[in-house]
Amino acid sequence: MSAIEIDNVSKRFRLNRKQEVVALNGINLSIPSGQFVSLIGPSGCGKSTLLHLVAALETTSGGRISIDGEPPDALREKHQLGIAFQDHALLPWLTIEANIALPFRIAGRAVDDARIRELIDLVGLRGFEEARPRQLSGGMRQRAAIARSLCLDPRLLLLDEPFGALDAVTRRSMNVELQRIWTASKLTTILVTHSVDEAIFLADRVVVLSGRPGRIAEIIDVSFTRPRTSQCTRSEEFHKLVDRLTLLLEG
Amino acid sequence: MALVAKRARLRDLLYGAIGFIALLSAWQAVSASGIAGITVPPLSAVWKVYETGPLSALLLRSAAATVRSAVVGFGFGALLGIATAMVARLLPVLHPGLDRLSVVLNAVPTIALAPIFIILAGRELTPTLLAAIPVFFIVYVATSSGLSASAPAHSAMMTAFGAHRRQLLFYLDLPASIPSLISGFKVSVSAAMIGAIVGEWFGAPAGLGVVILNTLENFQVALMWATVLIVATISLVGYALLTLAERWAERRFA
Repeated sequence: MSAIEIDNVSKRFRLNRKQEVVALNGINLSIPSGQFVSLIGPSGCGKSTLLHLVAALETTSGGRISIDGEPPDALREKHQLGIAFQDHALLPWLTIEANIALPFRIAGRAVDDARIRELIDLVGLRGFEEARPRQLSGGMRQRAAIARSLCLDPRLLLLDEPFGALDAVTRRSMNVELQRIWTASKLTTILVTHSVDEAIFLADRVVVLSGRPGRIAEIIDVSFTRPRTSQCTRSEEFHKLVDRLTLLLEG
Repeated sequence: MALVAKRARLRDLLYGAIGFIALLSAWQAVSASGIAGITVPPLSAVWKVYETGPLSALLLRSAAATVRSAVVGFGFGALLGIATAMVARLLPVLHPGLDRLSVVLNAVPTIALAPIFIILAGRELTPTLLAAIPVFFIVYVATSSGLSASAPAHSAMMTAFGAHRRQLLFYLDLPASIPSLISGFKVSVSAAMIGAIVGEWFGAPAGLGVVILNTLENFQVALMWATVLIVATISLVGYALLTLAERWAERRFA
């Protein structure tokens, strides 16, 4: 699995000829291989931008990101990056099965049917292989998107608020499922989220960003034993951590 | 719910049929009374043309020739339009140039080019070429706009999975452009028919355009109307079929 070094990274966006906006400034973060990191912060703090920089969907304005010692687009070129967005981004004209298998086709490999079946079982979509995205509920589409992100056994998983549009109950059960998937694979994972609960429940470390320009305000280690259950979320320590993080976000 | 929708649909059909019959009856009444003069024949006279063996055979033969020109021109123009839009998408450096070329081509009145086509390709091919040019332009514009209509989230997803430009085109942009493409086809139907018929006016050996011209010269009013009605019907049938295709595409691809 991949280790990520983010070294003094900044990102500026040009609004027009005169104005520039600094989205991220002086970001230093080192993520060891196999760790689950949550990125949390007020909206507009640049957390999604940071994720896009790691995915090489955008380029840094300053500083350097390396994944296993290589620039971020190297991982992408090797099809070893898994990604899921808040918008499920499933192609509407493909069946669920074909959507999940899409990374195989992009990588130019023969579709591994056994692997696709395994993923469909993993995210609980058995029986919906031939359905099209619009026929499924929001939660099911998100699960299909997660399955797709895992399709090629990536070395790095990037999740950009994948459960943001779901109701609280579905979201919690998706969190439990994601933890199960992650525990089985020990995949280096970065999750961008608005939800303090979700960030703590899933992560080994929570990185709190502050807004405008986005900087790292605090990094908090989360040491609850895994697998974490709903019992864990009701514990006193969990609540304390939630309160502490909420305060940080408000600060 | 379904029952209500079904009844609303039946009601629409019924109103449509009543309106259609009312229109035809009004035509028959007005023309038979003679107030519209001799240039508007009664519907019954037009119908008689269809029942007259030699005339209906002539119309059938002519319609076949016109439809052939229109369909071949349509296919040729559409293929060229799609291919050009794909080239523009794959090689962005060519995009502005191709845009301008197609606009210029569209700005030139194709009828003015007809004599050149006759010299270049002959009288038989001119209807096909005049049908192809407007179709090319419409389909090029429709495909171009369709190709850039794919959702940014989709291209970000494909890029993150390591897709290259060509894969983005074939896996994402082309399927996403199908609704826009079919809308372009729909608009192209009447353009192709106009091109084919006008092209036939420049001395084509056969076709509905030739019949229209002959009836004009010989003052065969009923035959002229009968011919024009066939032209309109062909256009409308093509338009209706593509409307169905458009609905399907919007359900499937958007």
